[in-house]
Formats: sequence, structure tokens, C-alpha cells
Amino acid sequence: MKREIGSRTEIYDDISDIAIKVSGLHKSFKLPTEQAFGLKQAFFNRLRGIKGYTEQKVLKGLDFEVKKGEFIGIVGRNGSGKSTLLKILAGIYYPEKGNITVNGNLVPFIELGVGFNPELTGRENVYMNGALLGFSNEEMDQMYDDIWDFAELKDFQDQKLKNYSSGMQVRLAFSIAIRARGDILLLDEVLAVGDAAFQKKCATYFESLKEKKQTVILVTHSMENVRKFCTRAMLIDDGHIIKSGDPKEIAEAYTNLWA
Amino acid sequence: MGIPLVLNRKNRILLKELTKTDFKLRYQGSVLGYLWALLRPLLMFAILYIVFAKLLKIGSDIPHYSVYLLCGTAMWSFFTECASQGIQAIVNRGDLLRKISFPKYIVVVSATLTAVINMLINLAVIVIFALINGVTPTWSWLLVFIPLIGLYLLALGIAFLLGSINVKYRDITSIWDVLTQALFYAVPIIYPIALVAESSATAAKVILLNPISQCIQDIRYFLITNETITTWNYINNKFIAIIPVLIIIVLLVIGALIFRKKSKFFAEEV
Repeated sequence: MKREIGSRTEIYDDISDIAIKVSGLHKSFKLPTEQAFGLKQAFFNRLRGIKGYTEQKVLKGLDFEVKKGEFIGIVGRNGSGKSTLLKILAGIYYPEKGNITVNGNLVPFIELGVGFNPELTGRENVYMNGALLGFSNEEMDQMYDDIWDFAELKDFQDQKLKNYSSGMQVRLAFSIAIRARGDILLLDEVLAVGDAAFQKKCATYFESLKEKKQTVILVTHSMENVRKFCTRAMLIDDGHIIKSGDPKEIAEAYTNLWA
Repeated sequence: MGIPLVLNRKNRILLKELTKTDFKLRYQGSVLGYLWALLRPLLMFAILYIVFAKLLKIGSDIPHYSVYLLCGTAMWSFFTECASQGIQAIVNRGDLLRKISFPKYIVVVSATLTAVINMLINLAVIVIFALINGVTPTWSWLLVFIPLIGLYLLALGIAFLLGSINVKYRDITSIWDVLTQALFYAVPIIYPIALVAESSATAAKVILLNPISQCIQDIRYFLITNETITTWNYINNKFIAIIPVLIIIVLLVIGALIFRKKSKFFAEEV
């Protein structure tokens, strides 16, 4: 079972104004039809001549460029391929066909609080999560107090994470996440959660990113955020980019998907 | 995407933090905590000692037999813990793999490093027991790290090889469990190899060609008594005696190659 593989290259070119270049990107997944895990099933499937999986094409040829300093919104309905695209850009999934060039240091947030463990204390989780963002112990020591101040959870730092409410966990995770420094940030619906106060903090954070001319790729369902923060947007449907350009037009096109 | 010997800064931080977390989580919620790292092999030793040395009266002609037995059980625990944690590492850390991009072997290495820490603690206990038991310390004690590294590399090779298959076929975990049970009796831990050699020299030689036996006997040789029968002093033909070392190297290389090839799809398949 040989699989074709596209390429993902990381370069560090300060002169070029391109942050990400994607050409001819395809991706499909092999989804097990029945319980195809296990040797017995694999054996019987081969015996009966059943493949044991169906192929689902998720991305069907994407071409686009992201320039440095752009705040790109990617929108589309559920299952349109947004998250898969983000994971391929992040280097988590391999591109099946096509080429991707990432210029600069890329920091992905597919989810807040990656690696959070309920059995560990808040303090231990902060260091663990920080390590996943590439921060050493010493760097975390310096940021430590700021993180807890921002999350407004100082009294809970030595409690196990399982004793936090889900909202508190998100606040802590967000507070760590915003310390991340990279040339390109990938954000996947990080803000779909949290109460009004939290949403406000997120908005302030986005505002600061936009002011700093940070390169951001944001996957979201919030057309309000697209209109407010994005410099450009792309609408993805059924594995194709069907429209790209002015955020206001894209937000409208997105709403019209159901019209 | 090779397996570089020197990790870059980011991956070093990650390896350190993952290992720390693994170690903490292992004994999370138990009253005795880290003490279990010591207690487990000691208790296993106590059971085997009562059954084999006291009831069945095996090994009375080996000097310092109790330390000899303790050393064997502790090293066996090290090997099995290393291999089984390594095999399951990718599946256990699936959530991480699906959300961030990093060299996947870091997860396997961090899982095995916890076993290494446990082993080092046990090694200290063995040394203390040896001194109490009247073993004279010699410079050859320092050589013990050579077979220890051999044993670790063997476990790592197995972890890479079986761990990459385990992602798709979880049966591997169960197969490995049964296999280790069988291997336990194929390695001279509870029985002295001399006992086998008495009835069949060939059988003893076959047992000594197993890299686990080779490593454990070497560790005993360096640490406890040079009366220990090892692969090197029992098998005269050096071309045959080198087989266990070759097995370790071949398993590690094949394991690493397969792991590297399969690791690209771990995030999708796990």
C-alpha cells in the first residue's frame, strides 16, 4: 500500500514577503468501514478482498498564498476541510499531493491547552503546556506570575486541573497561549468558548495581533470576527476555495451558503 | 526527517518535560508514590527468593545468590517496562500527536526514560545489597553500563518496531504481554544458567544467544561475581558469541527505519 506524499518545506527568508504558499494541495483520508482495527479484521478483509476502508477526499486542489502581516480568515461549513487544511499547514498531517512552503516559525493552536492533564496541578500543567510551545523552564519561570494574573486564577495554581471548571481551564490555557511568539500563528476556533469577559479578552488579543501586523490564519465560524479583524478571508466548501478576498464579501457569501 | 542524535532546543525542552510528566503520572495518587519504583522489584525479588532459593533450594552454589537474583529481576523489570511503555507511547500520547507537530520518536524515548530512571534507582539498591552481602567493589563495576546500554537499546529497538505497528493493530500490546511471559522463562533469571549447562551445553548456549540473557549475565558478571557464566566465556567461537550484539543492532536499525516511515501517518491513524 504505497501512498503518494506531497511536500512541506520550511524556509526562513526575511526578504520575501510571502509567509505561506500552497499549490495543488490534495488530501484524502482512509476511513475504516467497520471495525478495521486489529489483526483478525485486517486478515479477513484481505481474504474477502474488502479494502476495509472508504476513501474520503477532503481537500481537492487548493492554491493560495499568504503574505506577511496578513490576518486571514478561513470560513466554511462543518466538514468543508478547514481544520484539515490547518493541520497540514501545521505539519501534523502530511499533504497527499501538492506543495507547501512555510516561511518562518509557525505556531499552531489547533486546540487550547494541548497536553493538559487532569491529574497534574495547575502549576505543572503550565510548565508542560509551555514546553509544547517551545518555552524552557527558565522562560516559564519569568512568565509564570503574568500567566496566572491574566487568567485570574492565582489561588488555584496548586490544585489539580481536574478540580477546575472547564471555563477556568480555558482561561488558563488561553493565558499561556498568548505568550507564544512565532512569525505565523494558526488559530482554530480557539475562541468558540468562554464567557463574555473571556470573549472580550480574546478580542483585545486579536486587536493587538492586527496592530502588530502579525501573520495570522484564523479558522472561525464567527463572521463578526472575520469582519472586525481579518484583512482577507477565504471561503472553503467541499474541499475547494470557492471565494477569496474582502472579508465583508466573504462573510456575506458564507451566510448565503444556506440561503 | 531523520533521527538526529542531537536534539534542537525546542525538542530537548519537550523531551525533558514529557519525561518529567510521565514519571510524575506513574505514581500519581498512590500513598507511597515514588517508593513503588523501589518496592516493586524488591517485592518481586522477595517472592522469587522464597520460592526458588528457600523452597526449591536452587542456586546455593552461586556466591551472593540473593543479590544475583535481585539483580536479575530488577534488570528484567527494566527491560519489560522500557519495551512495553515504549510500545504504547504513541497510542497513549495520541492526543498530543493530533494537535502539535514534533518528531514522534520523542514520545517513545520519553516513555522509556521513565524506566531508565527507575532502573538507576534500583541499581543503587542493588549496589547497597551487594555491599551488605560482602561483594567486594571493583573497577569492573563501572563496566556495568555497557550491558545496561545494550539492554536499553534492545528495548528501544523493540519499542520502535512494535510501537509503529501497534498504532494500527492494537493486538500488538496483548501479543507482547504474552511474549514477555514466555521470554521470562527463556532468560536465566530465576534459574542459574549452570543448571541448564549441566544437562545440555547446547541448550545453555542457545539461551545465552538471547540478547536479554547476554546483557543480564554481563551485568551480573561485572557487578557480582566473575564466576557468572556469560555469552563471552561460555561460547568459544567469537563469531557466534557476537550474535546477541548483532540482534540488538539489527532490531534497532530496522525499528528506527520502520518507525520513521510510519510516523508520518501516526497523527491520522492513532
